[in-house]
Amino acid sequence: MSTRFGINRSTAPLLVAEGLVKRYGGLTALAGVDLAIRAGELVGLVGPNGSGKTTLFDCLTGMTVLDEGRVSYEGADITRARPHRIGRLGIARTFQRIRVYEAMTTLDNVMLSRAWSDNELPGVLGRPSGETTERATELLALLGIAEQRNELAGSLSWGQQRLLELAMVLMPDPELILLDEATSGVNPGLIHVIKERIHSLNREDRKTILMIEHNVEVIADLCERVIVLDHGVKIADGPVDAVFRDPTVVEAYLGREEIVE
Amino acid sequence: MTPGLSPTAVEDHTGRRRWLLAMPVAVLAMLPALTLFEAGERWVNTSTLFSLTQMLMLVTLASNWNFISGLTGYVDFGHAAFFGLGAYATGILMTKAGWPFFATLGVGAAVAAVAAVLVGRATMHLKGPYFSIAMLGTFAAMREIVRVWRPLTGGGPGMTLPPYLNRPLFYYLALAQAVLIAMLYQWLRRSQFGAMMVGIRENEPGAEMRGINTLAVKLSAFAFAAASTGLVGSMWAYQNTFIDPDIVFSDARTIEMALASVLGGLGTIAGPIVGSAILYWLRDFLWAGFLRSHLVLEGLILIAVVLAMPRGIMGLIGNRSAIDPRRLFARRTRR
Repeated sequence: MSTRFGINRSTAPLLVAEGLVKRYGGLTALAGVDLAIRAGELVGLVGPNGSGKTTLFDCLTGMTVLDEGRVSYEGADITRARPHRIGRLGIARTFQRIRVYEAMTTLDNVMLSRAWSDNELPGVLGRPSGETTERATELLALLGIAEQRNELAGSLSWGQQRLLELAMVLMPDPELILLDEATSGVNPGLIHVIKERIHSLNREDRKTILMIEHNVEVIADLCERVIVLDHGVKIADGPVDAVFRDPTVVEAYLGREEIVE
Repeated sequence: MTPGLSPTAVEDHTGRRRWLLAMPVAVLAMLPALTLFEAGERWVNTSTLFSLTQMLMLVTLASNWNFISGLTGYVDFGHAAFFGLGAYATGILMTKAGWPFFATLGVGAAVAAVAAVLVGRATMHLKGPYFSIAMLGTFAAMREIVRVWRPLTGGGPGMTLPPYLNRPLFYYLALAQAVLIAMLYQWLRRSQFGAMMVGIRENEPGAEMRGINTLAVKLSAFAFAAASTGLVGSMWAYQNTFIDPDIVFSDARTIEMALASVLGGLGTIAGPIVGSAILYWLRDFLWAGFLRSHLVLEGLILIAVVLAMPRGIMGLIGNRSAIDPRRLFARRTRR
C-alpha cells in the first residue's frame, strides 16, 4: 500500500514550536523562533554556522531548557519534558557529533535503541526479546552494515557510524525524525545511500522528517519545504525554489563569507 | 561473520565460564574443614581464614565499585562512605539499641542505599571528574559528621562492639556475599538493564534521547552498589569489633576497590574478582618481604601494570568489555 508519489497527508501540525528563545549568557542562540511541521512532511533546516539549528533541535527534544516559548507534539505540551519522555512519545533524532555507544557492538547499539515504555522494570532485568534482535538485525541489513553487527561501534568508519545512528533512530519506529547533518563528513558514495534511505523513509514509511543539512544539493533533491535560520531568527520558510532565490537568504550566506575574509 | 562470534560459540564460552567460577567457589567453601584436622591446619588455620575473609570482602567491594564506576562510568571516589554507613549502622544498633548482629545487616544496607539515592540525586548530574570530586567531598563530609556527632557515633574515640570471634562464620558470610554479588552482576550485565548502564557510560545524552530514563537507571545502580558495600561495612565492623571514623571512612579503601577493578579489567564482571585476589596477595607478599618499602613497591608495580595494560587482565585475555579507565575522564573533559 506504499504510495510512492501519493500525496495523502494530514494537514494537522504534528510539531508546533512558538516563540522559542534560548540565551547562553550574552549570546542569543534563538530569538523567538516559530515553527510548525505537519505529519508526512520532509522539511530542510539550513543556515550559516552558529545560526541556532542544533540549538533548535536541542530545545525541541528537551536536551536544552528553553528560556521562553512553547513546544507541543500531537497537541500535547512537551516544553519541559525530559528527553527520554520526548523520545518515548515518538520523536527520534541523530546528532551532529555522532552519539553511538562506542564500546558496544553494532547490533547491541541498535537493540538498546528499541522503544522503551514506562513501568518496564521486570522486563528490563531480562534479556532482549528475539523480536528485538531480529528487528535490529533487519535494520542493519537495510542500511548495509549487517556484516559489522559484531564489531564495536567505535571501530566503524565515520560514514558507517552515520548509518548506524540512522538504524538506531529507526529502531523504535518513531513518527517524527530529526536529522542533524546526516551526510556531513560522509564520502560521496555513502551520501547517495543516505539520501535514498531518507527519501524512502518519508515516501514509503511515511515518516515525518526535519533535517539540518549543509549540503544544499541534498536539500534541493529531497525536500519540498525549507526553513532558514540566521542568528537565531527564522528568515525564510517555504518551498525550496522560492527560498533559495530569496535575497535575505542569499545575503545571510554571503554574510558568512564576509566574516571569513 | 567471524566464526568465534557466532551465538553458539558465545553459549559454549559461558558454559566454560560457569565452571571457572564454580571450581574455586567449591574449593573455598571446603577450606575451613581443613582447620579441623591437625594435618590440615598446617595449610589452613584461622589466620588464613581471616586473610581470605578480608580478600573476599575486597572482591565484593571492588565488584560494587566497578558496577557503578566501570559500567555506568560514574567514577565514585567516595564509595567507602557507604562502607562507613553500614559499619556505623551495625555499631550503633548493636551497642546503643542492643540489636542482634543479623538484624542490623539489613539496616546497614538500607541506610547506604537511601544515602546513595539522596547523594546521587544531587551529584549524578555532574559529569566525569566533577562527579568523582563531589563524591570524594561527600565521603570526607560524612567522616567529619560521624566524628562530630559524638552522642550517637562515639565521635573520634570510636566505639567497641560486642566481641564475637567466629572466623568460619565471617568467612562464609563473605564468601556467600561475594559469590551472590558476582552472579547477580553477571546477570544484570547481560540484561537490558546492564546494556542501559553501559549506554549511559558510552553516551548519556544519546541514551536519554533514545528513551532511556537515565536518572532512574543510574540511581538504581548506585543504590544497589551502595547497599552491597554497606553490607560489607556491617560485617567488617562486627568482625573487627571496633570502629572509629578514620579506620572506617578510609580513603585507602576506595583506592583499593578502584585498583583491584582496574587491575582485573574495568567494566567486566570477572575483572574486580581477579584483580582483588591478585592485589590482596601481592600486598601480603610485599608486606612480609619488604616491610620498609612495601607501599612504595606496591605503588610502583601497580603504576607499571596499569600503564602496560590499561584494560587489565581481562582486557589482556581478550574480553571486549574491559575498558581503559582513562577513557572515562578524557571524553568528558574534552568539549
